[in-house]
Amino acid sequence: MLASSLIRQALVPMLAGYLLVMATLGFGLRLLCRPKAGDQHGRGLTAGPAEGPGSAAGSRPDWLALARHVTGTAVGGYLLLMALVIAYYYGVARVGGDFIKSAFTGTAMLIAIALPLWGAASWLTERRRRRDNDTAGKRKAHHP
Amino acid sequence: MVRHPLVGYLVWAVLFAALFACEGLSLARAGSLPTLSDAFRVIMRYPVGRWALFALWLWAGWHFFVRGWHFLLRA
Repeated sequence: MLASSLIRQALVPMLAGYLLVMATLGFGLRLLCRPKAGDQHGRGLTAGPAEGPGSAAGSRPDWLALARHVTGTAVGGYLLLMALVIAYYYGVARVGGDFIKSAFTGTAMLIAIALPLWGAASWLTERRRRRDNDTAGKRKAHHP
Repeated sequence: MVRHPLVGYLVWAVLFAALFACEGLSLARAGSLPTLSDAFRVIMRYPVGRWALFALWLWAGWHFFVRGWHFLLRA
């Protein structure tokens, strides 16, 4: 009894999670090692320019596109996790009630805390980067 | 009192040690082995990959910091 519930509640989800993470990482590594078109060396391991909006060096960030990108990621991730939580806790572990409520509200609270902090940190970093660029430009203009 | 099985901690320690060893090797031998950052960068190119990573981050945060929390800090 105890062994079967342990297998159902701990071993199966742990193995499933492990396989999911490993499969995702393996997929990423496979993509990395795949030769790119026009790449003489056939390896794409060196970091290219960062992907996503607002990452082009020297250009002004597109805050609206960045917000859309981040919101899409946060909402998609939240919904994915909630789907997994419901599937696991209703389908496998058969616990509900407060635990599910805690999962919904707790993760929402994490997002509510983390996203504004991340936004503020990004804005401050960008502001400092722009100020440094301006200072360097002025210095160059004074001492060509 | 809850007894924590030592073997559980050992397994986690071995897993993390292997992860750090692999990452250290990748960083030391730059170019021959992809680092975790390389792998994550590729995964994050795709929306589903970003959702999965964000979900993983949320899950870890919820488990380590929030579990047992009640809405509006209700006792």
